[in-house]
Amino acid sequence: MDKPDDTLIMRARDFWASIGLIAISTFFLWKTSDIPLWGENRAGVSGSDWYNSAAIVPLFIFGGLLVLSFVLLAISIRSGGAQHAFSALGIGWDKSEAYRASTIGLILLAYVVGLVPRVDFILCSGLLITALTYGYYGGHARRALVACIAVVVAGLFAFAVFPAQADWNAHGDDWFTLALWVALTLVVLTKAASERVLRFVPLVAILAPLILVCAMAFVFRQNVPARGGLIFKQIEYHYYVTLRPLWKD
Amino acid sequence: MDFILSQLAGFGTAFVGLAVDPLTYLYLIASVFLGITFGALPGLTATLAVTILTGFFGNKIPLDYSLIALLGAYVGAIYGGSYPSILLNIPGTAASAATAMDGYPLAKAGRGGEALGLTTTASFIGTVIGTITLLIFVWVLLLVSKNIASPEKALLALFGILLSGTLMSEDLVIKGWIAGLIGLAMSMVGLDPLLSEPRYTFGWSYLMSGFQVVPVLMGAFAIPQIIDGLTHVEAGKVLALKGRILPNLRSIRRYLPTIGRSGVIGTGVGALPGVGEDVAGWVSYGVGKTVSAEGDKYGKGSLEGLLCSETANNACIGGALIPLLVLGIPGSPPAAALMGAFKINNVIPGPTIDPEIILRVVAILVLASLTMFLMGLFTARVFIKILAIPQTIFLPVVMVLTTIGSFSVGGGINDLYLMLGVGAVAYFMNLMKYPIAPLVIGVILGSLFDETFRRSLFLSDGDLSVFFSRPGAAILLVLNVGLILSQLPVAKRAFSRLKGLSV
Repeated sequence: MDKPDDTLIMRARDFWASIGLIAISTFFLWKTSDIPLWGENRAGVSGSDWYNSAAIVPLFIFGGLLVLSFVLLAISIRSGGAQHAFSALGIGWDKSEAYRASTIGLILLAYVVGLVPRVDFILCSGLLITALTYGYYGGHARRALVACIAVVVAGLFAFAVFPAQADWNAHGDDWFTLALWVALTLVVLTKAASERVLRFVPLVAILAPLILVCAMAFVFRQNVPARGGLIFKQIEYHYYVTLRPLWKD
Repeated sequence: MDFILSQLAGFGTAFVGLAVDPLTYLYLIASVFLGITFGALPGLTATLAVTILTGFFGNKIPLDYSLIALLGAYVGAIYGGSYPSILLNIPGTAASAATAMDGYPLAKAGRGGEALGLTTTASFIGTVIGTITLLIFVWVLLLVSKNIASPEKALLALFGILLSGTLMSEDLVIKGWIAGLIGLAMSMVGLDPLLSEPRYTFGWSYLMSGFQVVPVLMGAFAIPQIIDGLTHVEAGKVLALKGRILPNLRSIRRYLPTIGRSGVIGTGVGALPGVGEDVAGWVSYGVGKTVSAEGDKYGKGSLEGLLCSETANNACIGGALIPLLVLGIPGSPPAAALMGAFKINNVIPGPTIDPEIILRVVAILVLASLTMFLMGLFTARVFIKILAIPQTIFLPVVMVLTTIGSFSVGGGINDLYLMLGVGAVAYFMNLMKYPIAPLVIGVILGSLFDETFRRSLFLSDGDLSVFFSRPGAAILLVLNVGLILSQLPVAKRAFSRLKGLSV
């Protein structure tokens, strides 16, 4: 089978997108029925007219979305998208691109959901920067896998061992992440002899999160993730106890 | 005359107030530098620069400094996009896509320095044209906008979403409208603005206050950019810069009519709600090609063609701020990010905005464009070196910036989950060629639309004629309906038949 052109690929993707959109808009239209529409009591106030309802605008939006989704489905079918929608070639499935995108997605998921709430921000961001730079510089599939495993294992460990918010200040996951970061950095440095860019990775991975978190916490005086983290806790302590009195006094 | 003089006096006071403050320069230099860097690095955009700085500076420093940082980055990034367009043949931002058409052939012909110098000058003049227009027209529109009531506001918000959906779709127009509706739908989450009725909260207390603007902006603009940038490894070869960057006055004088025309076009396009710098660049390029005596040279290394797009995209900045400041409707995607910054600072852009803020915005734009001009002429070689930095070094740091910026705005860890969720949706929308800007504009304008639409119905006791009995509302209703009808296949066929007859 010949590879279809880009427009046909797009119409095949539109076929699935329109079906997804029809399902979503139908679900939310059904959910909108929870909001009183005709003269029911709402927010403690008895109303009698349809135009008082908080459901009017959502009905208009999800109704519009449903109509547009059907129009998109019709366009897709008429353009031949439906015929191509059931084959990988038809929807323009690119295995290597999907592999890279899904490993990046997993890394970001592990970072945001597993690491950022629980692990010291400097440590987890250092690991992220090292992993993303090493994994995706130059387009090596095996490196992407190593990077993905490093971050996902750290994220899963933090998530599984310290699931409850009460335990987020514990340091076991910090040490584990640090160990993984050091290991990955050593791997990066072994490759740095032949790839000059990789020599700067450890420096960027330490400095960027360190500067950002310190600027946010001490210059802008804002909340930062995992204040009780292994490294940030020490920085905060010495900032207020050792450094600040120097100019405050 | 008195009116213009009083505006100039107000502007002068605001300008001097900012100019004598040393901190102004610190924020200006840092933000313009960062903006040019973001613009120069393919894969990072002006919207991303403003979005990230919104998370970082949005509500953490006084509003003036926050605006300096955001507007400085905005001006710098739109200009910075010209570097890779000219030297790599890859537009640094969508706004500079038309620039590459003539910029790269010029650099290949050994005229890269001349092209960069004139581009810098044209971008400066373009920004100033847009800024002056903003200074004058914003007041006229503010006077008119006093008569704008709920029905007009609702229809205007809808028009902004529809128009951005129509003009920003790369593929089918319907995809732009769907993106806008998804944005509107997202803005429905939380307590409704009139009766505090909870909608789509699924029992999660975090959702009671609705989707926060900054995590949505970060998710929609930053996450897909990061995934896309890391997925597609494209290393272009930077052409060596030849020739003097400092332009001579004779060539500036020669191209002044082109620069002036493009500045006016850019400002006009920017003033349309929801239409961004990329459209301004292409429209100006198209007009230039039609009216210019050397139109046949466009695309083959014409300085005029280069200046058409580069002037217009920078002039668009001032234009895009007109609907934002007057009506509370962003004129471009970066302006939508800017609106997020206003919101988290409790400044509501629109007819009730403090006029002092507008004067300060104008003064900041002038200062930012001057900083950009000087940096562009005297430190261009630094930015050319930056072009050599691989995206894979820069994007992970952007991810960390995005995370901490999103976290610190207020909602904590839940904001990060929201950012990631919106990012995943935006990534798939990008894959299927749905424009993201209408979604963000929908999220930002959704509550305005909801509130004003329902208030109109409240006040008229459910009488729908309120949307066409008032002259302003009637015009806007016709525009909305006309925009939808113009995209129907029947209308398109009729248009093309008419076009054929006129030829």
